[in-house]
Amino acid sequence: MAKVLVIAEIKQGVLKGSTAQLLSKAKAIGAETAVVAIGSNIELLIPNLVNAGSDTQYIADDPGLELFSAGPYSSCVVDAAKQFGADMIWFGFSESGKTVAPRVAAQLSAACATDITDVMFKGDQIEVIRPAIANKVMQRVKVNTKQLVAVVRAGAFDATEGISGTKNVVKLSSPAPDLKAVIRQIISEASGDIDLADANIVISVGRGAKDQAGVDLVKELANDLEAGFGSSRAMVDGGFMPHYKQVGQTGKIVAPTLYIAIGISGAIQHVAGMKGSKVILAVNKDPEAPIFNVSDYGIVGDLFEVVPILRAEIKKIRS
Amino acid sequence: MKILTTLKKVVDVELNIKVKNGAIVEEGLQYVMNAWDENAVEASVQLKENKGAETTLISIGGGDNTDIIRKAYAMGIENGIHIDDPALTKADSFVYARILQKVYEKGKYDLVITGKQAQDTDNGQTGIILAQYLGLPCVSNVISIEVMDEQHIKVSRLGDVGTEIVELELPAVVTVSDSINQPRLPVLRGIMMAKKKTIKVMDLATLGTSKDEVGGAAPKSEIVEFIAPEARKGGQKFEGDVAEITARVVDLLANEAKVF
Repeated sequence: MAKVLVIAEIKQGVLKGSTAQLLSKAKAIGAETAVVAIGSNIELLIPNLVNAGSDTQYIADDPGLELFSAGPYSSCVVDAAKQFGADMIWFGFSESGKTVAPRVAAQLSAACATDITDVMFKGDQIEVIRPAIANKVMQRVKVNTKQLVAVVRAGAFDATEGISGTKNVVKLSSPAPDLKAVIRQIISEASGDIDLADANIVISVGRGAKDQAGVDLVKELANDLEAGFGSSRAMVDGGFMPHYKQVGQTGKIVAPTLYIAIGISGAIQHVAGMKGSKVILAVNKDPEAPIFNVSDYGIVGDLFEVVPILRAEIKKIRS
Repeated sequence: MKILTTLKKVVDVELNIKVKNGAIVEEGLQYVMNAWDENAVEASVQLKENKGAETTLISIGGGDNTDIIRKAYAMGIENGIHIDDPALTKADSFVYARILQKVYEKGKYDLVITGKQAQDTDNGQTGIILAQYLGLPCVSNVISIEVMDEQHIKVSRLGDVGTEIVELELPAVVTVSDSINQPRLPVLRGIMMAKKKTIKVMDLATLGTSKDEVGGAAPKSEIVEFIAPEARKGGQKFEGDVAEITARVVDLLANEAKVF
């Protein structure tokens, strides 16, 4: 039986949905599952880790692990992978995952695949599917090593309802701090925001909003819908939206139930970040905007006119 | 400060990419400098201009990389090495990292700057693996680099919940985001000067290594085939009276797509 170790995604003390999604997929391919959770004061998350579908929980809980630091985090993952005898080590789609995964692979002499959308066994051999060239192609990749470290694309796997695991907690020893790369501070702009990666609805604003007043107008719609509020590159470069809100190949990759692109033309880099969404609505005054080629529904119109009507109509239909 | 900047020649992602019989159709493709590497070049040149750093680029890949190396020269990079070897056709990130390790060890650099990923593979691994092989500190997805003193830099990185500020002891490896800068367009004078500069071309043997030593004979993973992705199709696009079409779309979202 293959063994899959999933890295618990914990943000600001909360266990993220990707953990249950990855564990569900691991169980679906018949694997034995374990999870490794890294951070400070995270023992209270153990019941959540069990409920997410893990059969063993490796816990690295140390005040020194409060701020993310790639070196010590990778040491914890390597430690858990060795103790568990993991064949596969899966990270959810996050910046921390993307930076830790190659380190873990190098330390274990394992193969590394980022951004995978599927994984399967062909006999003893692992194969993965992943996008490349800005999502314009998919690759089927054969893994030549026994072990694979992978980062799973957001939304690639669904959580199985009613999944659960068994409690078997293993405490990991604290890793040495990275004295050559010292994390000084994390400037969190995100407090109180709805996390783009978790949101059921994501609304992104683009160049069509022109300025801060336009951004604020679209934000009201996001507030109404309790949606994650994202941005195209242009509005980040223009200083109207913070970096961490950028949706696209180079920013956040999202796959919500509903994605609403407002005033966004649809550059490939942006589309690469949202085309996994279940339903896409675009609002743009240019009927030829490429965003309409990937949208299920399109409204051709000036966003300054459309957004207030959209708000009113949605309120009406929800009441 | 000696900086090593990596440069990869990759397919132009702005063009249409077609897949046939499990392979990418070569016809009509064009090859350019990886976009994130342009950011790495710009970051390096800024450190040259502002801090007197010495800049060297390394480009790995079978074939003619002269055009992208000359472009980096025109942007301000001073020295260039091209590792050209037919053994590199199936190289994965680990093989690239091993070759970079050899180049690094010969040159004794203070800082390696790579793009955060290559736009052909979108792997985002090579720089990080290189740091691991060299035992150097590394930060990925970097959006600013500040020189603190001869032994330290301070970088900021886009992390999961905000901007992470990290102090790195040199030598170090950073991989840069496209948010770090706006790469300059080469000016005519730079383009003319770049034409006169030499490029040091080496194969693996000249570098003092072999396909086996860098792992090229047994890559950890290999692409079996390319598959055309399921294309998303445009659906229903409405034009006309804005109030009317907006109401219509909201109704469809609720009753057809059932997202509300």
